[in-house]
Amino acid sequence: MTVGTPDNLASSTRGGVGQSPRRPDGTRKVTGQFAYSSDLWHDDMLWGVTLRSPHPHARIRSIDIGAALATSGVYAVLTHEDVPGIKYYGLEENDQPVLAVDTVRYQGEAVALVAADHPETARRAMHEIVVNYEVLDPLTDPVRAALDPEAPALHEHGNVVRHQPVRVGDVPSARSRADVVVTGEYEIGMQDQAFLGPESGLAVPGEDGGVDLYVATQWMHTDLREIAPCLGLPEEKVRMTLSGVGGAFGAREDLSMQVHAAMLAMHTGRPIKIVYNREESFYGHVHRHPAKMRYEHGATADGRIVYATARIVLDGGAYASSTTNVVGNAASLGVGPYIVPNVEIDAYGVYTNNPPCGAMRGFGAVQACYAYESQMDKLARELELHPLDVRRINAIHQGAAIATGQVVDTPAPMREMIDRLRDAPLPEAVDSGDVRNLPGGVSNTTHGEGVRRGIGYGVGLKNICFSEGFDDYSTARVRLEVVGGEPAVLVHTAAAEVGQGLVTLQGQIARTELGVERVSIAPADTQVGDAGSSSASRQSYMTGGAVKRACEAVRDRLFQLAAERFDVPADQLSLSGGKLVSEHSGVLVALADLLGDEAIEETREFHHRPTTGMDPVTGQGDTHTQLALCIHRAVVDVDVELGLLKVVDLTAVQDVGTVLNRVSLEGQIHGGTAQGLGLAVMEEIQLADGKLANPSFTDYLIPTILDMPPMRLDILERADPNAPYGLRGAGEPSTLSSTPAIAAAIRDATGLQIDRVPVRPHDIVHPVTG
Amino acid sequence: MKPPPFEYRSAHDSAEAVNLLTEYGDDAKILAGGQSLVPLMNFRMARPSVLIDINQTHDMTHIRADDGHLVVGAMTRQRVLERDQTAGSAVPLLPAALAHSGHTTNRNRGTFGGSLAHADPAAELPTVLVALGGELTVQGPSGKRTVPAEDFFLAPLVTSLEYNEILLSARLPRLPQGTGVRVEELARRHGDFAIVSVMAAVHLDSNGRADLVRIAAGGVDSTPIRLHEAEAQLSGTALDDAGIDAAAVAAADSVHPTDDVHGSASYRLEMVRVLVARAIRSAITHQKEGHR
Repeated sequence: MTVGTPDNLASSTRGGVGQSPRRPDGTRKVTGQFAYSSDLWHDDMLWGVTLRSPHPHARIRSIDIGAALATSGVYAVLTHEDVPGIKYYGLEENDQPVLAVDTVRYQGEAVALVAADHPETARRAMHEIVVNYEVLDPLTDPVRAALDPEAPALHEHGNVVRHQPVRVGDVPSARSRADVVVTGEYEIGMQDQAFLGPESGLAVPGEDGGVDLYVATQWMHTDLREIAPCLGLPEEKVRMTLSGVGGAFGAREDLSMQVHAAMLAMHTGRPIKIVYNREESFYGHVHRHPAKMRYEHGATADGRIVYATARIVLDGGAYASSTTNVVGNAASLGVGPYIVPNVEIDAYGVYTNNPPCGAMRGFGAVQACYAYESQMDKLARELELHPLDVRRINAIHQGAAIATGQVVDTPAPMREMIDRLRDAPLPEAVDSGDVRNLPGGVSNTTHGEGVRRGIGYGVGLKNICFSEGFDDYSTARVRLEVVGGEPAVLVHTAAAEVGQGLVTLQGQIARTELGVERVSIAPADTQVGDAGSSSASRQSYMTGGAVKRACEAVRDRLFQLAAERFDVPADQLSLSGGKLVSEHSGVLVALADLLGDEAIEETREFHHRPTTGMDPVTGQGDTHTQLALCIHRAVVDVDVELGLLKVVDLTAVQDVGTVLNRVSLEGQIHGGTAQGLGLAVMEEIQLADGKLANPSFTDYLIPTILDMPPMRLDILERADPNAPYGLRGAGEPSTLSSTPAIAAAIRDATGLQIDRVPVRPHDIVHPVTG
Repeated sequence: MKPPPFEYRSAHDSAEAVNLLTEYGDDAKILAGGQSLVPLMNFRMARPSVLIDINQTHDMTHIRADDGHLVVGAMTRQRVLERDQTAGSAVPLLPAALAHSGHTTNRNRGTFGGSLAHADPAAELPTVLVALGGELTVQGPSGKRTVPAEDFFLAPLVTSLEYNEILLSARLPRLPQGTGVRVEELARRHGDFAIVSVMAAVHLDSNGRADLVRIAAGGVDSTPIRLHEAEAQLSGTALDDAGIDAAAVAAADSVHPTDDVHGSASYRLEMVRVLVARAIRSAITHQKEGHR
């Protein structure tokens, strides 16, 4: 045994890696006592509100703030002229104005801010601001934005944010060898992350001219890099603390109220609270990119794919946000987990006057997965093969390459996963005596009439951690000291707990690595190094890796201390149950006695292995850190007369490398699957000429517990030797594959094309043919 | 959000409520169970400057069966009505429809008259009133008047109530013993507003011919719609499959839905056709199998 692998510890320290200790935030969240960012309060605070554009596209002729400013109780009315620093920000491109300068490019774009002593006063004053708009025609068709050179340019550098081709082999000659060819045009609607805690936070002006920001976000350090230049402040004068995050799913990667609240705080010298309501929240964050996709696959009679082509157009809306990287994912994962020797993919991300789109769970891979999996089913039908067989014949495996030429160098047990799914038991016929089991449920419209059952499958391939050459890392500070006579560990990172259970996992890792049960997690803030984003399924890997590394450094120092004191070789020491143990002489000393008044503190960064960019012409490159697979089987009952449906069973097989916390893991797979179900059958932001038609949870439908069937999970552990503990990121893969599986089951039940999700009742009752 | 500021007055009986309405005019709204009005105010979609609370009234809460009719006071809680045996045996369509009206907690507070006066074209109680040809009793400064249901509902959230009138009660014809009833309500999720609802009551005579057919649809026009043509086609017949299917087509021809985010007009039309056929067939089964 070496010092770096304390594999005797997990069993001896309660609540360590591999166990499922209770979440420290769980009870408080369930009982309503957890403080979210909307609960922040300061006795001296003012309330900030945001005036937003009613038009998707307009020129601003003038803004008159006189009446608003004269309102009693109003302390400030600010426009772009009051932005202290640079007027533009963005995750990847600085293209989004803090407040609209001379043009608004989407409905809901922020135009002006008001601070007042009461939120109602602020809202009333906001309505007194007079903005003179010259309304312009909105550009809302992303295909036109991508391909029509006559389309009006919404930004100086045109409408194409990124075009990423992938070229492998020789598609024209492969086409001549194909025995069957299937084509399809697929469309995916605009999904919302639909987190429950709206954008909110508190900005407190500092005595040094800086500002303290308490916000619910996903990545404080990137916020900081965007916020500080807009405020004209050095980064050290913007101090961020994470407040309670009520869900994220990608929607908090971009800024919302951060700069606005800080501007108002600096201007008024008073703390400023901003809380969006639900409707404003729909305008206040980016959504999932809608996509229009055209695919062609050719295969030989024995089922082998010989080529694939794809044109993927992703609607980025008014500003770039993370469109660049969403395009990278859609392109590099565009043909999915299949061996395809000849490939032509063109993925575009474009500007339109629709709402800005950016990060959402699955991030570019979701859109492509729905299309390539629909193609797999078409191939199976043409070849008269079982849908699982065509997938199995072409499945990637360790040693095979994906479309970018990147060789999968860690376990990729897709064939085994397919075989296990094939053997999973099917649900019984539904008891139609209980209407809750039927399409429409208690709405009582279906009693078995017109109900047909379908079965469908989906496989998804998701990249884990950041890709394309980004130097992705996380930082952890770990402190071991004696508190009240007992050894205690304090873990400090800037990583955002967004509900995924990272706080719990950090504690598990510290317990395992240091053999100490008492672990506290410090509030996440920017007083410690960058942790990267709580996205890309990366925090168990990255911040988990950083906490592990910092704990190892603390442990090394502890062993050094003991080695000197007891004159034993450091490499014969281990930690267990708060005690230091020697291989030969058993328990040497309790940690509390060894440490005394001394504290051991270490800070470490963890970087994952380097990746490369995509070649701009061929798309080739070792662009991904880790790849993860998930497979779903969906069983759906459809009332074909009403267009209502009920997903009666969902079974998933996922390889997670190593299970660190089974309860959290299952929650991630259930939740990802449910979000994929939402995309398959109900979740869509409906737009008309760039305007939102359903910005509420009455009209934007998200699945409830009655829409989501109990799941069967089959979790594989095929460790990835590159990752901490061998883990594989698990937050997103199930979001990819549940959507195409459900769509395929609807197809199987109805015989319809189902080439657009979400599938609406109308699409089943009045399908568009041809 | 919270509602904009408003003045609050409480009435002790219907006459006082009418006086207050007369005093405050168009700016006043009656507060009954508040299950629709309060959310509308919180969302700032309704901004009455005065609320007249009738929860303290003593003369508007009753359920009486008399002279072949059921009379229900406007302040009767929906949940009370749903569980009332007198009401359920006189008009079995009422409890069947109320079971779809929001969630139980809404019905605990929500009132019979509140739902009628709110006049949502997709709501259950207005559709029952229209289906069965109910009558509404209204009180104004100069006394009471009675309005047939089909004349009471004028447009979405608009009734024939004058600004100084209050809904006192509604009267429904008692259905013949053994009438089969059915409520079909199309919603994509449990508890959501109906996209389309169809309500039917059918009674067969001893020869197996329909001597009573009542059908109405909600959510497919600016008010709940009585499907007279379909009723006429089915009355006096043996309700065979071909007749039911033809009547369902006639039903779809007599409504004028519009598009919204939950369903297109063409989808709603098709749903009227499917649901009318299903409702009639289920109502027949209901009569033949007897009531629960």
